[in-house]
Amino acid sequence: MKKFAAVLMSVIMVASLAGCGSSSASKAASGSAPSSGAASSKNASASANKSSANTENMSDKKKFVVGFDAEYPPYGYMDDDGQYVGFDLDLAQAVCDMEGWELVKTPIDWDSKDMELNSGSIDCIWSGFTINGRESDYQWTQPYVDNSQVMVVSDDSGISSLADLKGKTVGVQSASAALTLLQDPKGQKDLADTFAKLQEFGDYNSAFVELQSGSIDAVAMDVGVANYQLKSRGEGYKILDEALNTEQYGVGFKKGNTELCDIVNADLTKLAGDGTVAKLADKYGISDLVCLKAK
Amino acid sequence: MSFQMMLMQLAGGMVKSISIFAWTLIFSLPLGLIVSFGRMSSNKLLGGVVKFYISVMRGTPLMLQLLVVYFGPYYLFKMHIGGAYRFIAIILGFSVNYAAYFAEIFRSGIESMPKGQYEAAQILGYSKNQTFFKIILPQVVKRILPAITNEVITLVKDTSLAFSLAYLEMFSITKQIAAKETTFVPFIVAGLFYYIFNFVVAMVMENLENRMKYYK
Repeated sequence: MKKFAAVLMSVIMVASLAGCGSSSASKAASGSAPSSGAASSKNASASANKSSANTENMSDKKKFVVGFDAEYPPYGYMDDDGQYVGFDLDLAQAVCDMEGWELVKTPIDWDSKDMELNSGSIDCIWSGFTINGRESDYQWTQPYVDNSQVMVVSDDSGISSLADLKGKTVGVQSASAALTLLQDPKGQKDLADTFAKLQEFGDYNSAFVELQSGSIDAVAMDVGVANYQLKSRGEGYKILDEALNTEQYGVGFKKGNTELCDIVNADLTKLAGDGTVAKLADKYGISDLVCLKAK
Repeated sequence: MSFQMMLMQLAGGMVKSISIFAWTLIFSLPLGLIVSFGRMSSNKLLGGVVKFYISVMRGTPLMLQLLVVYFGPYYLFKMHIGGAYRFIAIILGFSVNYAAYFAEIFRSGIESMPKGQYEAAQILGYSKNQTFFKIILPQVVKRILPAITNEVITLVKDTSLAFSLAYLEMFSITKQIAAKETTFVPFIVAGLFYYIFNFVVAMVMENLENRMKYYK
């Protein structure tokens, strides 16, 4: 029995040792690079706040829990310092600054977004979230981005229009607005029916590797995401001129949560008025997509 | 993102993965032993219930079990979830699942002990408890260590399933960095992290096995 306890203890010790190792590593790193060090300690305190979100009610600040997909640049992603940033998150921060709320950024598994929202784990979904097709499923704010779904193909594929996709294999992210659109009889189902196959994938890295290797011929995605991917990956890809549709992004609250939705909605109007929205759009390179403008 | 920054982020995620790993072991090993007693119980009802529990735990995906544990309280009882419950649900889900596997390993070890040892212990005046803890269990532990090592190593890799509850263990962070950087490099680094940690786990377990080779 003693030996058995020893097994357990040594396992725990190894675990805690490993923990020490990495925290001292981060300390060392913050010592050598002051700027990134400050950022990482900020990050550490942010995550500490999150973990004690329920136990610590010392501050009277209301918490505003935003659920987002952290694999969705430029709307929400992890930046060079390991912090969550993006157009949507910065906008959410601006709203919180106005209301005196504390923003809690909660990266969620996109497939469980409805469960997270309905169960109250998060207050809203703010993550390049398409309104069209979901109008009656959520409590929406006003639209803030004019998005369109586009097709990305390889430069040398010889595909230049949607009609050229006939008999080709097309990739699309699962649970995405593009997938809904391609399956909707009122949307682009007729087009999708001409494809040899509609291939679902989990993340854009896999999709682009498949595109590069030729196992799929095109990938459907949001134009903002497509721009980011093409900029980051360099030459070799292009966006087809014909878009699949035009649609709009909004912030989605749980159906019936009008109170919170109205506050955020009003703040968005104000933020558009004082130029914050335009400034953030410029920062993330999506100025031509933002539809929330000063009136 | 610099390579150093990426390593730091992944190391931070690794700490979280390891905390899932450690807490799960702390709860599931003792629980597994108790469950194995229930499984071997002469009480038909108790034995049946435990058998059913093990069958469900082994027969359904762990990811599904995690979702049920986390979202279940809300959908069934309209309870408020979120915040600290996220981590509790993960540990609960992992522990209850792994206890079922450990229970069967304990059972195989305990049932492999010859009946003669119990009889000899009884003649020598050992009580039932003494017989189990002083004579049977130490031998059982020696016998089942390789099987336990298997499960423990699987557990390290299974911690990545916590991403379905949006817990930022190493694999979630890896995916996020990969999305931001649009490369697969973080996955390779994450694979190395997992391998190194499992290498250490396997070494510790092998060392323990060697130390338990007394009487040989």
